Amino acid sequence: MSVDDIADNDHKKNRYYFDRHTPEYRLQFEKITEEMHSKCPVAWSETYDGHWVAADSKHVFELARCPAVSNHHDLTGETPYQGITIPKAQRATVVRGGILEMDEPEHSTYRGALNPYLSPAAVKRWQPFVDEIVRAALDEKIESGHIDFVDDLANIVPAVLTLAMMGIELKKWMIYSEPAHLSVSTPEHSPEAERVAQMNRQMGIDLLTNMVEIKENPRPGLVNALLQLRIDGEPAPELEIMGNLGLIIGGGFDTTTALTAHALEWLSENPDKRALLGRERDTLLNPATEEFLRYFTPAPGDGRTFSEDVEVEGQKFKAGERLWISWAMANRDPSVFDEPNELVLDRKGNRHFSFGIGVHRCVGSNVARTVFKSMLTAVLDRMPDYVCDPERTEHYETIGVIQGMKHLPATFTPGERLGPGLDETLDKLQRICDDQGLARPITERKEAAVID
Amino acid sequence: MKVFVDSQRCQGHTLCSMIAPDSFELSDIDGTSSPVNEVVPADQEDAVREAVHSCPEQAISIEE
Repeated sequence: MSVDDIADNDHKKNRYYFDRHTPEYRLQFEKITEEMHSKCPVAWSETYDGHWVAADSKHVFELARCPAVSNHHDLTGETPYQGITIPKAQRATVVRGGILEMDEPEHSTYRGALNPYLSPAAVKRWQPFVDEIVRAALDEKIESGHIDFVDDLANIVPAVLTLAMMGIELKKWMIYSEPAHLSVSTPEHSPEAERVAQMNRQMGIDLLTNMVEIKENPRPGLVNALLQLRIDGEPAPELEIMGNLGLIIGGGFDTTTALTAHALEWLSENPDKRALLGRERDTLLNPATEEFLRYFTPAPGDGRTFSEDVEVEGQKFKAGERLWISWAMANRDPSVFDEPNELVLDRKGNRHFSFGIGVHRCVGSNVARTVFKSMLTAVLDRMPDYVCDPERTEHYETIGVIQGMKHLPATFTPGERLGPGLDETLDKLQRICDDQGLARPITERKEAAVID
Repeated sequence: MKVFVDSQRCQGHTLCSMIAPDSFELSDIDGTSSPVNEVVPADQEDAVREAVHSCPEQAISIEE
């Protein structure tokens, strides 16, 4: 190491060995988080070619909103800009990750096309549609007294709704669901990663087919929104449209599944709190949802790249250095959240980081909340005494990308069906989608879906 | 009490309107927030204070 190297690395004196892709990180999350908060809230880690880790609320808040921090992903690999994954994703060599790997002004151009489909008012129109998918998914299991909340509920509802909003056939949900979940539960360095990347490419082919179809015969939805977008009078490049569609699937499927599964598991372990939430739903459902979001942080963080030398909260960073912004660890910062490792259903001042901070705030946050609340309340109404089986519950081995669950089996007192099963319901909902033009933007359609 | 939302900071997290639905209204297009009235009615002051503390972007301010 030369004198120059030492001078060059002087700003990296706060060091911490940080590897979020190991099972130990999941198992010791609270201990690691407390250690970083107290000793080195922003630290340099040598892992994955070296990167910064921001763990406390103050640095996370400032860095996520800092103009010298970039989301851009340079697919050529010739510059340090590697987008939001650390280490670089295998899929990344093909396409950028949509608006999440764009900086301004490009980011806002694309996001502006998506917003009128995903705003609170736009998502509210889908409420009866969501409730109907939930009803059908539960009806498939209600008479048996057994359910896997991941496989039989939380994997289905977000997937079906996301495809409906995109303008893709509902019955195709399974083609998208498996790679969408596997691609986040499989660490990048796993031997399975290449196979999962291959599955993603196959899903991409179906997406591409849909895109070509919708280009020729436009039908409403997010695919059409991106196809109709004009940038300086020109259509958006197809690869960027594909990247955004991939982001909508990646963001729309696994995150809400993860939140729902964790909340249902916790409520099974805390039956008194479950009864309280059932009784005081009118006042408790909103704050409880935000608290589940804070505590379980489905998307635990994002990668960034410094685009210039900058000093933030007393720490110097250099252009080209990579950064991991940990929403999950900031969500446990005791300077913002009293008793951060306790789940408090009616928590006050819950300015959590779970949807990110700054211009990249999760564009699907209203979808996530709506779908989560519909699934949760339906389970509380129809399976109020459910008990999860810890022996057969399977969490993701690592939480580097999504803090998710593979299986959450439960038993409950059987009940009566309320209507037809999933396949028949999806046929009906497809017809309703088409007839009522549900996937149009809020600027074109204000009315809520009508389920006949 | 007066309430202000900094439109440059607000990113449409919607927590304020969840906590104080009578005091904040959201854009139909992107969910960004603005006060229903600059002057907060007395019976909404506590809810507005809670919204200030809960804003992830720290975009809401009040003048007592």
